[in-house]
Amino acid sequence: MNFDISEEQQLLQQSVERFVNENYDLATRRKLVDSPQGYSDDNWSQMAELGWLALSFDESDGGFGGNQIDTMIVMEQFGRGLVVEPYFANIVLGGGIMKRSSNLELKTSLLPGIITGDVRLTLAHAEEQSRFDLDDVVTTAREDGDHYVLNGKKSMVPNAATATHVIVSARTGGGQQDKDGIALLLIDSGDLDGNHFPTVDGGRASELSLDNVRVPAERIIGDFNLLATAAHDAVLALSAEALGCMEVLYKSTVDYTQEREQFDHPLSDFQVVQHRMVDMFMEYEQCKSLLYRATLEAVQDAPTAVRTSHALKHLIGKSASFIGENAVQLHGGMGMTEELAIGHYFKRLLVIESQFGNTDYHLTQFAA
Amino acid sequence: MEIDLSPEDFEFRQEVRDFLKENTAKPGADYSQWRMDYFKKAAAKGGWDVPKWPVEFGGPGWSPTQHYIWDQETVTASLPWDMPFGIGMLAPILMNYGSKEQIDRFLPDIRERNVNWCQGYSEPGAGSDLASLKTKAVLSDDGTHYTVTGTKVWTTMAHMADWMFCLTRTDDTGIKQEGITFLLIPMKQDGIEVTPIITLGGAHSVNMVHITEVKVPVENRIGEEGKGWTYAKGLLQHERTGLAGISRSIVALENLKRQAQSVTRGNRTLMDDPAFRSKVAELEIDLLAVEFTELRSLAAAASGDDPGPESSILKLKGTEIQQRIQKLTVEAGGIYSAAWGVPVGHKFARSGMQGYLGGRANTIYGGASEVQKDVIAKNVLGLKRS
Ligand SMILES: Cc1cc2nc3c(=O)[nH]c(=O)nc-3n(C[C@H](O)[C@H](O)[C@H](O)COP(=O)(O)OP(=O)(O)OC[C@H]3O[C@@H](n4cnc5c(N)ncnc54)[C@H](O)[C@@H]3O)c2cc1C
Repeated sequence: MNFDISEEQQLLQQSVERFVNENYDLATRRKLVDSPQGYSDDNWSQMAELGWLALSFDESDGGFGGNQIDTMIVMEQFGRGLVVEPYFANIVLGGGIMKRSSNLELKTSLLPGIITGDVRLTLAHAEEQSRFDLDDVVTTAREDGDHYVLNGKKSMVPNAATATHVIVSARTGGGQQDKDGIALLLIDSGDLDGNHFPTVDGGRASELSLDNVRVPAERIIGDFNLLATAAHDAVLALSAEALGCMEVLYKSTVDYTQEREQFDHPLSDFQVVQHRMVDMFMEYEQCKSLLYRATLEAVQDAPTAVRTSHALKHLIGKSASFIGENAVQLHGGMGMTEELAIGHYFKRLLVIESQFGNTDYHLTQFAA
Repeated sequence: MEIDLSPEDFEFRQEVRDFLKENTAKPGADYSQWRMDYFKKAAAKGGWDVPKWPVEFGGPGWSPTQHYIWDQETVTASLPWDMPFGIGMLAPILMNYGSKEQIDRFLPDIRERNVNWCQGYSEPGAGSDLASLKTKAVLSDDGTHYTVTGTKVWTTMAHMADWMFCLTRTDDTGIKQEGITFLLIPMKQDGIEVTPIITLGGAHSVNMVHITEVKVPVENRIGEEGKGWTYAKGLLQHERTGLAGISRSIVALENLKRQAQSVTRGNRTLMDDPAFRSKVAELEIDLLAVEFTELRSLAAAASGDDPGPESSILKLKGTEIQQRIQKLTVEAGGIYSAAWGVPVGHKFARSGMQGYLGGRANTIYGGASEVQKDVIAKNVLGLKRS
């Protein structure tokens, strides 16, 4: 039994931690969030230079041959810093899909650019009627000679405004909720109409309309299974990010309640406050255990891996609510302000809760 | 025990409905004109502009049932904007502890909504432990005025207020509940500086208020010097029962059901989802109970008894229910709840997230829940702490 990460992974962790400490104080982050693009090109280039964009790609593709554990390490630290650069959309979602694509020509043409950060991808899977079901797709891809013609609407696509390409799920056949007949296609973002807007956690998202968009047949990346695998990775990565947020929240609350005095005592003297924080800590530790378990199972391609990832996202959602709400509560009025970091972590957790299936959704999947 | 409405109650309800219908803002009407007209017409009904005020100060003298009917009927009506600070908080203090001159001077403007008030209690160092407040008020040698210096924080609507009712410290030699003095301070003057505080939903409603050597005439002191804590405590009780918002939650839950029905999942709706449905049902059950808790407390108050144990749990249960409804609204909004400041996807998602974030304060202001429970443990259960 060994829960230690390798020496290389420790170095990675330290390097991401250092990056976050040096570049991500709240004021700097606020500037990024308020800027037109919503993140920093410099940070993005730095991430490429440090090799983080290459981590999860095979060595034969120019990457470092890492796995979900490496991604977990990066995302957890990003969660601690509330990093806004589009690593999740580009590398976890876009990169994760492209590296597994059987369309080798497309894959070899894109991966080098993804690794340098010049090609920026995102995934457009959600639709208004689908809620969290990946297989509920009404966007159509009609075959027309050596092209497909796409029509439909995609919702809450992360970082689409700054993406060079968008991976879209669309129906080439089958009924609205059939897994068969779903294709993933690569579209130049210039071919899409987008309504771009900020999200409550300081991120960016878009509503995309596809109006007779013509896509060459050689731009088909894969089928539903590829989408499902990407969603599995997404759940692991988002959960790692959430864990980073929760750690900051419970630790800041423990610190704050020792500093803040009311009734001639630090708040931390009150037993109900102590027990609440013990509960926050326990939830955090339980999430960490399940994150490790789900991540290892994914790396080993265990038969239970998907089911465990449902358990994980459920627990993460529940604990994120508990820890987030109580961090605000125990900070009192201060917790309600934009000025303190607490609220920003809380808002990021709220969004993670709804990304790739919310707490109820994953419980239902787990119990099914 | 009797819970059915009497024929007179039904008549009253119809009268309320007719009144609210007649006085809804007409499309295109000037808002502030309509607002003023509304309160005039409500006053002409015999105190309907100040339903909670006692008869001797112009209130309608309703029975608990009539109050209940009014609350129910008014949640769904679009009444003009009104703040609780003057009408609901300061007015009862003036009535109980103000001088005749003060009542004549301040009450009419409060009633006619001519003047906006804000509540200057909390300070950076005095939140839950309000009695440790430090804003200093020093009486002049000739006894004509106080000079006030200090900082108030979280002051809701201070940026729109004409006056603040303010707790100040006039004596710090004894126990901290003593030596607190209740002063009324005009806001629009030198020495008062209001700085906005932006809260989680991006809204500006609370402020920091710096008070620097502001002179306040002794005529603006309520009651005796050093007795402000006693006056304020009575008022906090008023504030708390008003914060439960049970009728509003009943309506909010109905809205939530409708919203969830508009969210499709394949060929069904979110209301068909067993997990979501059970959470809605649990809320409904709690509301069935707490609605009667509120009625029991109204009845106790009407019979002249002290507000019983029922009233102490109203704020706690009421705010907990509000927050659960807000949370479920965010859940119903799904991925769209993350969109910020733009209408995307489900129509209710935008205000749902704002409501949820802002609503986190409901268990903090007016006595944080943990502190409320301390009060119940001590005053209702009679428990002591070592
Ligand atoms: C939106 C908003 C509007 C407000 N409007 C006004 C206003 O108009 N006028 C005004 O005067 N004030 C106002 N307030 C202030 C409000 O009354 C205080 O925030 C509240 O009293 C809590 O004080 P605090 O924020 O200093 O928190 P603290 O007292 O520092 O407490 C922080 C947390 O610690 C815990 N805690 C505190 N004491 C205990 C204890 N003894 N045992 C166990 N746990 C404890 C609670 O969880 C509490 O939430 C407003 C606050 C908010 C958030």
